[in-house]
Amino acid sequence: MRLVQVHRLMQVVAVVGAVLVLRPFMAGALAANAAPCQATVDTWRLAQSVDQPATTAPQAPATDAGQEAPSITGDGTPATVIDDREVEGILGKSVRSSAGEDMGKIIDVIVKRDGQVRAAVIDFGGFLGVGSRKIAVDWGALSFPPDGAVDHVILNLTRDQVRLAPEYRPGEPLVVLGAANPEQIKPENPPQPENIPPEK
Amino acid sequence: MPSARPLRKYGRWGRPDTELVETPTEVPKRTVPPVPEGQPPRPSRRSLHALDWFVFFLADAQMGFGPLIAVYLTSQKWTQGDIGLVLTAGSLIALVGQMPGGALVDAARSERFLSGFALMGIAVSAVVIGVWPFFAAVLAAKVLHSAASCVLGPAIGAISLGLVGHEAVAERLGRNARFASIGAALAAGAMGAAGYLISNQSVFFVTAALCVPTLVSLWLIGAGQVDPERAHGGKAAPHPGDPMATFRGLLRNRPLMIFAGCVALFHLANAAMLPLTASVITMRSSEWAAALVGACILAPQLLVAALAPWVGRQAVVRGRLPLLLLGFGVLPVRGVLLAFVQSPEMLVAVQLLDGISAAVLGVLVPLTVADVTRGTGHFNLAQGVVGTAVGIGASFSTTLAGYAWDYFGMVPAFLMLAAIATVGFFTVFARMPETRGLPPQGNEMHRAALFSRSSSAYRRGSDQASGRGLNRRR
Repeated sequence: MRLVQVHRLMQVVAVVGAVLVLRPFMAGALAANAAPCQATVDTWRLAQSVDQPATTAPQAPATDAGQEAPSITGDGTPATVIDDREVEGILGKSVRSSAGEDMGKIIDVIVKRDGQVRAAVIDFGGFLGVGSRKIAVDWGALSFPPDGAVDHVILNLTRDQVRLAPEYRPGEPLVVLGAANPEQIKPENPPQPENIPPEK
Repeated sequence: MPSARPLRKYGRWGRPDTELVETPTEVPKRTVPPVPEGQPPRPSRRSLHALDWFVFFLADAQMGFGPLIAVYLTSQKWTQGDIGLVLTAGSLIALVGQMPGGALVDAARSERFLSGFALMGIAVSAVVIGVWPFFAAVLAAKVLHSAASCVLGPAIGAISLGLVGHEAVAERLGRNARFASIGAALAAGAMGAAGYLISNQSVFFVTAALCVPTLVSLWLIGAGQVDPERAHGGKAAPHPGDPMATFRGLLRNRPLMIFAGCVALFHLANAAMLPLTASVITMRSSEWAAALVGACILAPQLLVAALAPWVGRQAVVRGRLPLLLLGFGVLPVRGVLLAFVQSPEMLVAVQLLDGISAAVLGVLVPLTVADVTRGTGHFNLAQGVVGTAVGIGASFSTTLAGYAWDYFGMVPAFLMLAAIATVGFFTVFARMPETRGLPPQGNEMHRAALFSRSSSAYRRGSDQASGRGLNRRR
């Protein structure tokens, strides 16, 4: 098994640089992801940030000394409290197909320069970590349980659709499985549920 | 004649010429009365069975540190970069620690004590990884585990040799390989189930718990029966004061170096085959992929369990070389078949060939090293040298195969591995001497025995290396 371990090592070493580069973007992704939630959930906001647009709240700390200073009394940092049942970290979450097949785990999130979450990278297939492949799937192809604990994420693709996809390699053109928006997904896969929001 | 030549300060094995020895500062103290020459050691039945179980449980415990660790850390929201760093650190330690680990086992007065100490390290690192999945803790635990493994690897060979001696060690190593592969197969199944049914975290507590029966088995091996001198492959020369002298001596050991080269080539071809095959199966099979990949891992282990004792016996009856040729010869065949076989089920069948190579290598790597270091007292350092060769070959294998896969496709990648394996096979065929029945080294007689079956290139190289011993035969 040591050999396999060495294999993982060499494989993952190649990803190191890319992930380090992606890290700043990922921080942006999480912020962008959190923003829409504020519109729908019951939020409680600190008094200092009442006048501030909701979407800029998470990114505010660096800029509040400038143009927003008048609206802020004191030197508090804008903050938002979100019900913990409404949000969830998704790195490492297992992925299932809508038929309940095991589709691996989410290991990375891909964002565009504008901060939009574009795709999730799943570690797919294999056994005990051997022979798994990293495959990027469209963010819109993922859906999340509407309530209860998020113990897994639903991917609206089947194993057969995913297994032949080219492997995700940082630094190379990205092949994202599943369509960019629901209009393109639906004709290909009619039986799939219709509620695939482009961004949640 | 050699006497006409200027004497070197140190002899072949780092032994100072007798005139130069003032007083050996350190006379090795024996804890065991020496077995008289010509009388085989008689280990008790209990010790032999305890060694079986020690090897079995150790393979179990080591399983948890395989690829599973990456799966576990992923579920703990680790980024792939951090996981890569930890695994890299572990593998680097595992690579550079091989020779120091072997030297430590050679220096130890009690192999059992040293192994017990290393086992504690493994248990601690399993608990740390299970309880504190934070970067610093896991990094430290992984380094500790790799260092402990560097000691435990040669220690198994040392305990076996110390227990049964050179005459019976071939069968013993066959038995070791059987129990190790049964242990690894059972552990893979059990840990896969634990990871699936309970949690990936539980795997590490199972690993730590498995260190307890390992320690008990180690303790049951009779303390007095593991002769440290036998375990080191003879009595080492008094320390010459130059730490590199011993090492240079090993580097001048031609059969050892040839063997290390062959083994490096073997692993350069072999290490990437299983991951590539598993990827291919993941691509080609939808429902049964996990089960088939599991079969690719487990089935060869079971074949090793069935074959290894036979390999050990045949190594005595037929000699080492035919078996080495078998193990190295199967690998190119496997590479070519993997390139062209289409059905996932048949890929599993081809993967069974791995069991043949693994059984041969599992027995013959420590056995050949024991053969060629007989009488030197540096059996374990030499195991470390070969272990380093294995590590280098295996690390480059996956990188190389990955590039080939990316740029040329699957079939060329497998064919490239098969080509490397073919080179390894012919290197064994053309260069590797038969090592069965080599007399103890460190004297001219041994040199003469070695060169009786040697090619001209081999002789040429030795001439440059030493300039002695051979001249007598010219």
